[in-house]
Amino acid sequence: MRQLSIMVDLDRCIGCKTCIVACRNHHNIIDHENDQPGAMANYIRVESKLEGTYPELREDSWVVMCQHCKKVPCAKACEYDAITKDPQTGIVLIDQEKCTGCGECIEKCPYNVIQFNKEDNYAHKCNLCYDRVIHGLTPVCVDVCLTDALSFGEKEILLMQAEARGKKMIKKMSTQSIIYVKNA
Amino acid sequence: MYEDGWIPTICYQCKAECAILARVENGVVKEVKGNPQGRDKACVKGMAGITSLYSSERLKFPMKRVGERGSGKFERISWEEAMGIMEKKLTELHERGEAHKFTYSMFPHSVTDPKWRFVNAAGGFISTGLPHCDSGKIMAMMHTFGCFPNHHIAPMYHTVPKGGLMILSGRHPFGCLDDAAVPKYILDAKERGAKLIVIDPIFRPEAAKADWWIPIKPGGDASLFLGVCHYLLTNDLYDKEFCDKWVREGDMDNLMAYIQDKTPEAMSKICDVPAADIIKLAKMAAEAPSACIDAFKSIMYGNAMDWGHAWCLFLVITGNLDNPGGQPLPEIAPMAPVEPVPPAPDVTELGYHRSGNNREKFDNYNFFLQPTWYAAQAIKDGTLKVFFASECNPALSEMGSGEWRKAVTMKDDNDDYMLELLVVTEIMPSETMKWADLVLPDQTNFERWELLYMPWWYNFGHCAALCQPVVEPIGEARHANRVFIELGQRMFPEYFAFKDDVEYYDIELSGVDMSVKELQENGGIWSPGAVGFRKYEDKGKFDTPSGKIELEWQMYKDIGQDWPSPELPQEYRRGEKDFPFILVNFRTIFLNNTGAWSQNNAQLRDPVSGLDANPCLLNPIDAKKLGVADGDTVTMESSTGSVEIPVMLTERIIPGCAGIIHGFGQTVGKVASRGSWVNDNELIADAGSTLDEQDLRGGEAHVSTRVKIYK
Repeated sequence: MRQLSIMVDLDRCIGCKTCIVACRNHHNIIDHENDQPGAMANYIRVESKLEGTYPELREDSWVVMCQHCKKVPCAKACEYDAITKDPQTGIVLIDQEKCTGCGECIEKCPYNVIQFNKEDNYAHKCNLCYDRVIHGLTPVCVDVCLTDALSFGEKEILLMQAEARGKKMIKKMSTQSIIYVKNA
Repeated sequence: MYEDGWIPTICYQCKAECAILARVENGVVKEVKGNPQGRDKACVKGMAGITSLYSSERLKFPMKRVGERGSGKFERISWEEAMGIMEKKLTELHERGEAHKFTYSMFPHSVTDPKWRFVNAAGGFISTGLPHCDSGKIMAMMHTFGCFPNHHIAPMYHTVPKGGLMILSGRHPFGCLDDAAVPKYILDAKERGAKLIVIDPIFRPEAAKADWWIPIKPGGDASLFLGVCHYLLTNDLYDKEFCDKWVREGDMDNLMAYIQDKTPEAMSKICDVPAADIIKLAKMAAEAPSACIDAFKSIMYGNAMDWGHAWCLFLVITGNLDNPGGQPLPEIAPMAPVEPVPPAPDVTELGYHRSGNNREKFDNYNFFLQPTWYAAQAIKDGTLKVFFASECNPALSEMGSGEWRKAVTMKDDNDDYMLELLVVTEIMPSETMKWADLVLPDQTNFERWELLYMPWWYNFGHCAALCQPVVEPIGEARHANRVFIELGQRMFPEYFAFKDDVEYYDIELSGVDMSVKELQENGGIWSPGAVGFRKYEDKGKFDTPSGKIELEWQMYKDIGQDWPSPELPQEYRRGEKDFPFILVNFRTIFLNNTGAWSQNNAQLRDPVSGLDANPCLLNPIDAKKLGVADGDTVTMESSTGSVEIPVMLTERIIPGCAGIIHGFGQTVGKVASRGSWVNDNELIADAGSTLDEQDLRGGEAHVSTRVKIYK
C-alpha cells in the first residue's frame, strides 16, 4: 500500500505550536468567538523531553498527531465501520456520518489523538489534510511549520531523504506512518 | 469591496509585523500563512490572530468611564462625543501653556505614524508604548558607529557563512520577535555549518538547539565580552587591518590601556563563566569568518549601556560590521514627507523628565523618546496631565505597574485626578482599560489600513509593507490612526490637509514611486532590492563626528563612563544578603509582546496551543537549600513587592536565579479563566523611585531585581 507520511525532524522542531493553531483554523475545529482556553479540540500536540543535569542538558521537541497506523487499532475497535484506512494514501479516515459517538476508538488509540465533538456526537482526528493532499498540496502543519521541521511525502521516499541527510529514524517514537528522525 | 481568497496583509499579533496572507471565505478570515513575497512564515501568534478578530470580547463601541478610575464601569458613547472629550482637554492643556504635558504611549508602526504626527502637532511627546527595551543598544551604536542600529535587529542570519558564529545573549529569536522566518534562518545556517552559541541563565529552546550553551549570571554580558576583547587584543587576534582603517586615531591605544586588567580570569569572577570558556569563545571568534551578537534581555538591565558599549567593541575588533553574518547597518527607504511636517517639541527642554523634580538626574539622558517607565513619577510631579495609550498595556506591562495604577488614581486638593485624562484604544479588554476615562474600540490587523515603514526594523528596515483590511470591521471599531487623523483635521487642519490614512500613505509612498494601490497589486510589499554590505566602504566614512568608529565615548569622560564598566547591574549588587536570588523574567513565543491586543487571546493561553501558567522556576540545588518541593507555593518578595507563586523545579535554570515568564497577571478576559498567575512587574520597583538604578545615558533598568523566596 502506498503510504503518505509526515517526517518530523527533531533537530528542527522548536516546540512553537504553530502547527496546532494552523491545523485548527484549516479544519474549522475552533470557535474563535466562544471557545475558552482549555476546551479546544486539537489534532496535533507538542511534546518535549529535557534530559541531563545542569549544566549538561539536552532537550528535544516533537509533534504528535494521528500516526495513521499500519494495523489500525481504532478501526478495529469501531463496530460501525466508520474508520477506514484509505488504500490509495494510507490515510486513516473517520466517517462522521457512520460514527455513533461510542468512543471506543478513543479508548483504543495508543497515541491519544482522537478528539470528540460532544455537541454533534462524533469522533474526529487528523486526516493528514486529505482534502489538500488529494489535490497535490501538503498538509497544513507541514505548510506552515516555522522551521521546516516537518516534511511530507511517501513514507518510502521520506526515509530515503532522511538517510541522504544523515538522519536516523527514532523507531521507539513511532513504528507507524509518522516518522521521527534526528541527526545520526 | 472585500474579496475571497488569500489576501496579503500584515500580522500584528506582536511587534514583528510579518507579511502574511489571510484566507477569506464569504467575508470571514479562515486561515493565515506567511506571505511568500515576504519571508513566507507566520508563527503561532499570527495563526491565533483570527481568535482576536472574532473573540466575543471585542470592544465594539466608544465608552466613557462612569465610576471611579479602576472600577471598570463604562457607558457607551458616540464617536462624536469621544472626539469632543479629547479635543476639549487637549485644547485646554494648550491654552494653559502645558501642551507638553501630553504623552501618547504607542508602538509606532512607522517613523511617520499618523498618531506620532498628531502628538507632534499637539506639542506632546511619545513614548514607545513599552519600556525602551533596547535603548542601551541604540545609543551605544549611535555613539560608536554614528547610526541607528537596525533595531530589534537582528543579524541577517540568512547571510551567515559556514563556520560563522551566531551568538545569542539573553535573546529569544525563536519567539519570533524579529520575524517568523528567523528561527528557520538560524537553523538553516546551523545546517550549513555555522555555530550557534547561546548565553543565557535559562536553558530555553535556543539553548536546546545550540552548539554551546553558556550559562551566565544575569547582567554579566558586559564582563564576559570585555574578557573576550582582552584575549583578542592582548594575543594579537583582532582584525588589525579593519581597526587601523576605520577606528578613530588614538582609540585603539586607549582601549589597549583600558582593557589591560579585564582579563578572562578577572571577568570570570563577575559573570561566573569560567575563564577557560571566555578564552574558548574568544578563540572561536578569532577563527570564525563572521560573528554576530543578538541580545535582548541583557540590554534591559541597568548596565545596558556598558553592555552595548562592550558589544560594539567586540564587533569592531573582530571586524564584523555590515558584513555577511555580522552586525547590519541600516539603509533607509526615502519615503516622501507629508508637508507641512509638524515640528517635534524638544524632549531635552520640555519632556516631562526634564521639567520634573528629577531634572538634574537626567542631564545625560540622551534618548529621544519620553521614558515610558517614568510616567508614574511624572504624574506625581504634575508634569504629565494627559495620557493616551495604544497597543500597550502599562497597567500590566510597566515595571512597577502597581505604582502606575496608583499614580493614575491620585487626586489633588480639589479631589480631581492629577492625571486629567487617560484614553486607551483597545481591541479587547485589558488591565489598562480598567483605569481609562475613555475607551476607543480599535481594529485588528485584518480590518485596518497601515503602512509599515520602520527604518530600523528587522522586517521593513529598507522597504515598506501594507496592512490592508481583508474583512469588514467589527462593530464601530476604528483604527487609532484614523481616529487621530480625524482629530488632527479638527484641531490642526494645516498639518492634516489630506483625506484619510490611505491618502497619507499614498503621499509617503510617492517618494519611492509607489502608491497604496500599486502595493496592493504587488503583493503588499515594496523593496528596493538587496540591502548591501559594508556600505561604509562606499561612503568612505561613518556618520560620527570624526567620520571614524569612536570606541572611546569622550562625551562621558567627566562622569567616568568613557569605557564600559564590567560590573553587574547595580540592582544585582545591592541587597544580596536579604534578597539572595536574582529574578529572571523571560519571554516565550506565546507572550512575546507587551500589548493587550494579543495578551487576551484564548488560543495563546490554551494549554495545548499556548502557555497557561508561569510558575517560579528554581534549580533543585536551591530548592533543597530552601526546603521547598516541586509544586509548593512560596512567597517571592523583592524590596518593593511580593507575590505568591507555585514552584517548578527544573535543571533549566542556573542556581541562584528564580525564573518567571513575563506577560501574566491579566485579571480580565478569557485568559483570566486559566488563572491570572503572576505579574513579574509587581516585584520590580517603579523606576521613578529608583533613579539611581537607571542608566540615565540612554540605557534603562526595567526588568531586574533581587528577591527572596520562602514558604
